[in-house]
Amino acid sequence: MSRFFRGGDDSSSESSSEEEELYSTSEEEEARDAEQEESSEEEEEESSSSSSDDEAGPAKKGLSRFLLDQASSESEESDEEGTTKVKSAKDKRHDELEATISLIQNGQKINDWGSIANEFDKLNRQVVKLQDGGKAPKSYIKCIAELEDFMNETLAKQKVTPKKMNATNARGLNAVKQRVKKNNKDYQSQIDAFRKDSDAFMESEDEVVPPPKPSTKLRVQETYVPEAADEDEEKGFARVDKRGKAMPFSPESILKHLRSIIESRGRKNTDRVEQIKIMEELSKVANTPYLRIRVLQALVSARFDLGAGAGNVMPLEHWKAAEKELSALLKILETEKDHVVIENAEEWDDDEKQPTLAPEEKYIRIPGSVVSYIERLDDELTRSLQAIDPHTSEYIERLTDEGSLYNIILQGLLYYETIRKDASLEVPQESLNRITQRRLDHVYFKPAQVIKILEENAWKQISAGVDSAITPRNKSDDASQLVNILCNYLFEHSEGIIRARAMLCQVYFLALHDEYYNARDMMLTSHLQESISNFDIATQILYNRTLVQVGLCAFRKGLVYDAQNTLQEICGSGRQKELLAQGVMIQRFNQVSPEQERLEKQRQLPFHMHINLELLECVYLTCSMLLEIPLLAQTGSSPDIKKRVISKTYRRMLEYHERQIFTGPPENTRDHVMQASKALAAGEWKKATHFIHSIKIWELMPSADEIKTMLAKQIQEEGLRTYLFTYAPFYDTLAISTLSAMFELDSRKVAAVVSKMISHEELAAALDQVTETVIFRKGVELSRLQSLALALSDKASSLIETNERTLEQRTQGSANAFSRKDGQRGGQRGGGQRGGRGGARTGGNAQRQAGGTQFTGGALGAAVRG
Amino acid sequence: MGSTTASGGSEYDLLNKLAPHLDRHMIFPLLEFSASQLIDEESGTIKDEEKARQITQAKFALTKRTNMTDYVANLYCELEGLDEAPAEYTERKKQVFSQLEKYEQQTAKITELLERDDVVNALRSDKVANLEFLKREHDVTIDMVNALFDLGNLQYSCGNYGDATETLYRFRVLSTDNDKVAYATWGRLACEILTMNWEVALEEVQKVREVIDSKLSQNPLAQLQHRTSLIHWALFPLFNYDKAREPILDLFFNAGYINTIQANCPWILRYLAVAVITNRTKAKNMGVQQKQMKDIVRIVKQEAYEYQDPITRFVHALCIDFDFEEAQQQLVLAEEVLRGDFFLLAHADDFVDSARHLIFESYCKIHARISLTDLSARLGLNAEAAEKWIVNLIRDTRLDAKIDYKEGTVVMNHPPTSVYQQVIEKTKGGFFRTQVLTSAVGGRS
Repeated sequence: MSRFFRGGDDSSSESSSEEEELYSTSEEEEARDAEQEESSEEEEEESSSSSSDDEAGPAKKGLSRFLLDQASSESEESDEEGTTKVKSAKDKRHDELEATISLIQNGQKINDWGSIANEFDKLNRQVVKLQDGGKAPKSYIKCIAELEDFMNETLAKQKVTPKKMNATNARGLNAVKQRVKKNNKDYQSQIDAFRKDSDAFMESEDEVVPPPKPSTKLRVQETYVPEAADEDEEKGFARVDKRGKAMPFSPESILKHLRSIIESRGRKNTDRVEQIKIMEELSKVANTPYLRIRVLQALVSARFDLGAGAGNVMPLEHWKAAEKELSALLKILETEKDHVVIENAEEWDDDEKQPTLAPEEKYIRIPGSVVSYIERLDDELTRSLQAIDPHTSEYIERLTDEGSLYNIILQGLLYYETIRKDASLEVPQESLNRITQRRLDHVYFKPAQVIKILEENAWKQISAGVDSAITPRNKSDDASQLVNILCNYLFEHSEGIIRARAMLCQVYFLALHDEYYNARDMMLTSHLQESISNFDIATQILYNRTLVQVGLCAFRKGLVYDAQNTLQEICGSGRQKELLAQGVMIQRFNQVSPEQERLEKQRQLPFHMHINLELLECVYLTCSMLLEIPLLAQTGSSPDIKKRVISKTYRRMLEYHERQIFTGPPENTRDHVMQASKALAAGEWKKATHFIHSIKIWELMPSADEIKTMLAKQIQEEGLRTYLFTYAPFYDTLAISTLSAMFELDSRKVAAVVSKMISHEELAAALDQVTETVIFRKGVELSRLQSLALALSDKASSLIETNERTLEQRTQGSANAFSRKDGQRGGQRGGGQRGGRGGARTGGNAQRQAGGTQFTGGALGAAVRG
Repeated sequence: MGSTTASGGSEYDLLNKLAPHLDRHMIFPLLEFSASQLIDEESGTIKDEEKARQITQAKFALTKRTNMTDYVANLYCELEGLDEAPAEYTERKKQVFSQLEKYEQQTAKITELLERDDVVNALRSDKVANLEFLKREHDVTIDMVNALFDLGNLQYSCGNYGDATETLYRFRVLSTDNDKVAYATWGRLACEILTMNWEVALEEVQKVREVIDSKLSQNPLAQLQHRTSLIHWALFPLFNYDKAREPILDLFFNAGYINTIQANCPWILRYLAVAVITNRTKAKNMGVQQKQMKDIVRIVKQEAYEYQDPITRFVHALCIDFDFEEAQQQLVLAEEVLRGDFFLLAHADDFVDSARHLIFESYCKIHARISLTDLSARLGLNAEAAEKWIVNLIRDTRLDAKIDYKEGTVVMNHPPTSVYQQVIEKTKGGFFRTQVLTSAVGGRS
């Protein structure tokens, strides 16, 4: 039995050395001789045979034992083969060993820890082959003893000198440090002997050297064998691992199991489900907080591994289990204040005993990252939501899990807040930011009532004594306050993407809750429109979403011009789906590689976060109609301003609609808007209103009736303007009372609209106060020649302007470039709120002129002087 | 600054908004003004006892932390109804005096030096060299210079503004400590404002502006705050000194400052609007005035969601909505507000007059025929006066209008801008600009 175990142990140490090989950067081919490879191949065969045994299951204990014996005998055979060959090649190996040792010594001389680490690994591999009866060659002992001394010396030095080692060196040193500690324990007695009298040690015969202690691992196994036997007696059988070892579960063995599981992580042929089962068992026997934390950590990571790989979705039951376990983990961390899981803790290498609280230490530090677990859990939920058809009840069921996820996020946030209070732990701000960002991500797109419920439920889970410093319990029932706090926190404590995202989330939230001006101001002051193209795609998508939401908000406020302006960029592109990550575009012209397609699929938002695209289109088209129809009427037939188009998309649709010979009753949103446009253009505002009002999708808006009234009002006004533009040439005078009756508007309102048009020089007319009429001036219509001359002069001046700009770019007049930029920024702030619809034209002219005068005094002047 | 909880009467009183950006010494005249508003003009009695008391309290809170001990003591007596001030005030007075004396002793030498002509003549524009020179020749130390700063501070705090400005001026000539010089500049500005020495105040405004633009360009938040303060302080010269009007309006319409107003203190729009509207007759350059008017209309429109009062509503109604009746109504309200405002009181009539002009001008622009009777009713004048008013207006603004006496109407003539004129306007600058371009290109190659 013990022999067999011995064999098993050998194989495990082999496998660990294999892993090290995997990790070691330099693959010196010559260092590995053929036999080693051969033997490792044999190992693999053996392990595969034993794993096939494993499948037989613990029930067939007798048989499996038998098979195992066979397997072990095989391994013995191979061992024997190995030894015969070893004998013949022993001298060769000794030579190699010496060569490696001298390399290490060279490395020590020049303080090159990178190469020392590599050589040390190699050395350890070589020495396994040379050990006969557990005795290591003396030169090896000498080497490792010296190495340890040198290492300690270097470490001591490093503490004193402020200068840092370079990265590779430092990494090498750390690797060596850990390995030396582990390794030298096995040879402790020999090293002691060497230290006592190095010369005598080197001279003494092999026999004199006391037989080395069996390696620690061996001893451990021997100790728990009896227990295993006990269990055997109790249950009749024991769980058997891949290599046929009985696998007893006791608190003492937990760490060992974990190590083997963690080591096998990421390899082929590991049965993850099996491992998870093992760990579930382990978590039952874990009796100290430390063990429980370790097991839970490993368990959660293992569950996440199940969902790894492209297109794979983590199974539902495992997600739920992971969520439970994570919650348990956070609970433990909350109650056991002296245990902390932090990223920068050192690994605890000792499998035998658990770490204890050192007297001067306050905490037992366990390496790990809670925030990463939470993020992963969140991502997995999103992925599974992406995969589920949103119109099924399954989706809704899955969506309920968001609540429990939110609880975990909140718990995690509280955990990080508590550990950040202690400066000695050096918890980076970033972790806290990340988790706050996650929380915000789950909140920002929801209406206030939903957030309130979410928050209430989350706080119910948390014991009453605990409160959050960032988001105090009593403040979290007010959703806007909560979002505000979270965003401000992130804004103050983070930078770069997280900061930008925080701002966008806040703007989104404000826009969703009808606070248009706040949202717009914040959007403008963020200056994100200038830098958004430098951010990652997810943030760009968020930016687009925010922009759309601001536009919709403006529409609800009745600010048609602003709404159209804001939505133009997204909706005018015809790629709404792609820009908002709410569906993959069908690429017509260029082929998309599967890789790109996969990425795009990953980016998609889960359905519950979508912005209704049909509603968006409807809003956009309606706004475009209200702006475009008067413009079309105004430009009429004159050639020079015909070019000015507000929305190309809308124009195209309108043209298409006009080409149709027979138009049926409107069916979809677009038809409705188009027919309304037609009616509006003909001055039939009532019909237009009717068409617009019969669009079903308005019902999706909160307070749909108000919006309909608002639209009706807008249509009346724009109808009046359109009417005046269209029919002005046919009238001499027109009574205001007639107009007011025609459009059912207050006569004061009509007068105001007409005054505005006159004042902006859109209409060649004047009001007669005595008779209350509009008098149209005659002879203002330009002849074709005149309008062409005007167009020509416009073009000439724009040509000069272009030239000037080109020259300015070439000369790079720094002073002027600055002033121009400044002016632009001012314009941007005004941009969103530029004067009335009619004012746009005159405003544009004035601006151009201003630019011209500014220019002559500006940079070019400098250029002339220079 | 201070706990100026006393709120003025009407809902449009800006005292509470202005106060945080002003120095406590400057708030004082504002409080005095609100107190005087309460006194009934005819009977001379105080209308609202409660309010008056509040104001006195505010005054007390305001001056408590200054060193104007006598005055504080008086206020205290007034508040508590005592005849004699408590001893602590006399105590404090003594302290202040001793401190003053101490600083004066410290600076006596340097003050004396700076009054000597030979020393002053030896000074150059280089501050470092000056200090060297004084050190070498007259044993002046840097501590003595800094004592000047402290003295100035104390003098200001005692309400002795005239001396304070003198002391701070001396300090500024000598000191090389940039931060302190900046403070001294602010201090001088405050002193000049309080002594109503507008010309110098204007200079100081420009200096402070330079300091803000140059030194704080790395710190946008501080720049914003300083600009806000400067804007508020500049209100004093803006409405009290006619010559200050144009430079300060220029300052306000500077991109950085107009953004500050929009972002941080939209209530300044009231003052800005009044200043621009009243400036229309006085401005030398009509172009600038029109541009400012356009700007103010744009900003009023942009900020309508954040700040509104009768004055901005008047601008909005007149220039954006073209609702003349609404504008008329707002003008009446605006006049009331103006009469209750510390800064604008003196300009109320001027404003109403200019505003009427403005209304009429845009009214004429839109209308072809206006009945005289209607107009006189609208202007609140009788027919004859209205006629006179219009004649004056036509003459002043060179409107193309005639009075049809028989019909009782004013007939406006709006000649359409001829196409030829338009083309000429558009192509006018082309030649010059092209020339500049060619010379620029030629110069380079």
